[in-house]
Amino acid sequence: MARLELDDVTKVFDTSAETIIAVEELNLDIKDGEFIVVVGPSGCGKSTTLRMIAGLETVTDGEIRLGDERINEKSPKDRDIAMVFQSYALYPHKTVRENMAYGLHLSTDLDGEEISRRVQEAAEMMGIEDLLDKKPSSLSGGQQQRVATGRAIVREPSLFLFDEPLSNLDAKLRKHMRTELSRIHAEVGITTVYVTHDQEEAMTMADRIVILDQGKLQQIGEPKEVYHEPVNRFVANFIGSPSMNFVDVELERNSDGSGTLVGEDFSYDVSSRLLQPLDSGTTEVEFGIRPENVTIDPDAPTEKSIETTVDVVEIVGSDNFIYLDLAGEEFRVRTPSEIEPSEGETVRLTFDEDDVHLFDSASGESLVHGLPGADVSATAEQSDTTAD
Amino acid sequence: MLNDNKRSRALLYVGIVAFALFAVVPYYWVIRTSFLTNIAAISPDTGFIPALGKLTVESYTQIWDRFAFVTFFRNSVIVSVAATVISLFFAIPGAYAFARLDFPGRKALFYTAVFTIMFPWIVLTIPVYEVFYFLDLVNTIVGVIVALSIFVLPQNIWLLQGFFRQGIPENIEEAALIDGHNELTAFLRIVLPLSWPAVAAAALFAFLTAWNNFLWVFVLTTDEEVRTATVAIYYILGSDVLREWNVLMASLVLLVAPPVIFYGLSRRYVGEGLGGTPG
Repeated sequence: MARLELDDVTKVFDTSAETIIAVEELNLDIKDGEFIVVVGPSGCGKSTTLRMIAGLETVTDGEIRLGDERINEKSPKDRDIAMVFQSYALYPHKTVRENMAYGLHLSTDLDGEEISRRVQEAAEMMGIEDLLDKKPSSLSGGQQQRVATGRAIVREPSLFLFDEPLSNLDAKLRKHMRTELSRIHAEVGITTVYVTHDQEEAMTMADRIVILDQGKLQQIGEPKEVYHEPVNRFVANFIGSPSMNFVDVELERNSDGSGTLVGEDFSYDVSSRLLQPLDSGTTEVEFGIRPENVTIDPDAPTEKSIETTVDVVEIVGSDNFIYLDLAGEEFRVRTPSEIEPSEGETVRLTFDEDDVHLFDSASGESLVHGLPGADVSATAEQSDTTAD
Repeated sequence: MLNDNKRSRALLYVGIVAFALFAVVPYYWVIRTSFLTNIAAISPDTGFIPALGKLTVESYTQIWDRFAFVTFFRNSVIVSVAATVISLFFAIPGAYAFARLDFPGRKALFYTAVFTIMFPWIVLTIPVYEVFYFLDLVNTIVGVIVALSIFVLPQNIWLLQGFFRQGIPENIEEAALIDGHNELTAFLRIVLPLSWPAVAAAALFAFLTAWNNFLWVFVLTTDEEVRTATVAIYYILGSDVLREWNVLMASLVLLVAPPVIFYGLSRRYVGEGLGGTPG
C-alpha cells in the first residue's frame, strides 16, 4: 500500500503528422488506501494518465512517485502494481488458475503452496472457485471480469489500476460489479486508481473524483463536492444525469444588493446573499440549475419562475424526465412519476435559489454556488491544494 | 413430387457435381496414367477406367532406376524446409515489428516488402544471377536456400503481421509486462505461444511456395546434384527421349505428394491461423 503522487506530469504524443498534448501538467496526491476515480470524456487523457502510472507509456515531463519513490523510469514489472484492463487481457492459453498465479510465479519467489493458497483466497473473494480450471474463452464476460480482478488481487500490490473495467458488461451486471469492487476495496484497502467515462460509476465508487478534460485537471474532490460545487461549467455539465441546465442571462442589480437574472423569456429574482461574492461589474453570466432541483408548480410567483412549453416526456418509472423548450434551447427537468404534463402544455417551473449556480459566460469558471460549502466545506481545501 | 425449393436444390447439386468432376478429372487422369505401362498409357483401348490387370507400379520403379530422383527429392526437402525455417526466423520478429512498433520508415519498408510479392520475379533473373555468381553461390544448395528464403520472406511477413496486429490484443502483452515480463520475454513467452496457428499457416505457405518454386532453382542451378524435383520434372518433360507419359505422371504424383502430406499435417492449425483468433 502506498501513496501515489503525480507532479506536473505531462504526456506529449509526437507523431510525424501532429503533436498531441494528451496530459498537461497534472498534479495529483493520492493518499494511501484511497479509491480515486479518474473521469472525463474520451480523449481527455484519463487512460494515458493511468498508462503512465502503470509504465506502459513514457512520461514526457514531470514525476510520478509511488510510496515516495520516483517510478518514472521503472519498468511496469518493477512498480509493484496490478492492472485490470477493459478487455480483461487474460492469457487465452492458460487456465484461470494459471492466469491468476502467473504474475506471482514470475515476479515473486513465493513457493507453489503459498501461491495456490493466495489464488484460492482471491478466487473465493471473487466467487470464481469453480472456474479455476477453465480456460478464459469458456467464460462469460462477467466471469472474465472477475478473473481479471482476481488476477490483480492475488498480487497484493501497492497500487491497483483499473482501466474502464466494467465498460464491456451489460448495465445490470455493471451495477452489481460496481458494488462488488467497492466491497473488495474496503476489504483489501489498497490504493486504487480507477478510470471510467461513466460519471455514475465515479460518483458511486470514489473517495475522490478526478475530472479531466483535454488533458487538463478540472477538479478533484469528493463526489458530493464536485456535484454541489463544480469549479466550472465543464464539471457541472459532466457530473450529474441528466446533466445540468445552462441558460445565458443578464444580471440586473438593485441598489440593495439583490438582483434579477434576465433571460430571453423570463426573469428570476435573486437575493443579495447569492450575489454578494460576485464582482460588481459582472453582468453577463450563465446560470445553471440541475434537472432534479427544478419543480413544476403552477402557483409559483412570476418573479421566481420560468414559463415554458413541454417538448417530450420520458417515463423511466421512478421518475419522469421532462424536456422543455426554453427560447429554443433544451431545458431538462426531473420530476416524481406522478407529475406527467402532456406534450405541448405550458408549465411553470420554479427552483430554490440555493440550487442555483452562476458561471462566467466567457471563461466558464464558476462564480457562485447557491449553497456554498454547505456540507462539503471540509474537503474544499483539499481541492485547492491539489487542483491545478 | 418435388416442390420448387427441393428442385432448385437438386439442380444445385447437379451443378456442383459437374463442376467438381471437371476439376477432379485431370487429377484422376494423372494418377491413372502413372499406374499404366508406357504403351497402355497412350493406347486408346485402355479406357477411362483401366482394367485392374493393366495397373502396374513399373513407372515408379523406373523413375528410381533412370533418374536421380532420390537426389532431387532430397534437395527439394532440404531447400524447402531450410527456406521455411530461415524465412520464419526473420519474418516473425520482422512482422511483429511492423505490427507493433512505430519506427521511422515503417510504412515505406512494409510496402516495399509487400510489393515484392506482386513483383514479376522473372524481370530480376539476370541481376539476381549476377549477384549470386558474384557471391559464388550459383549451382550450390546454399545458394538455392538463400534465394528461396528471400523469395518467401515477404509473404511470411505479410501473413504474420496481420495476425499480430489483429489476433493478439496489445493488452495481453501489457498484462504480461505488468506480470513481470520485459518486452522480449513477453514476446517469447506470451505472444509466440499464442501465435502458433499463424506461424503454422505461414510455414505451410512458405513450404509450398519453396517446394513449387521453379524459376530461381532453374536459373541458379545447372548440375543434377543440386537440382530440385520441380525442376527435374521439367528436364524429364523436355528430354528428347520418347515421351513416356506414365513416367512423367508418376513423377508428378511424387512431386505433389509431400506438399499434400505437409498440408494434411498442418491443416488443423491453418484455418485458425488465417482466422486471426489466437488459439
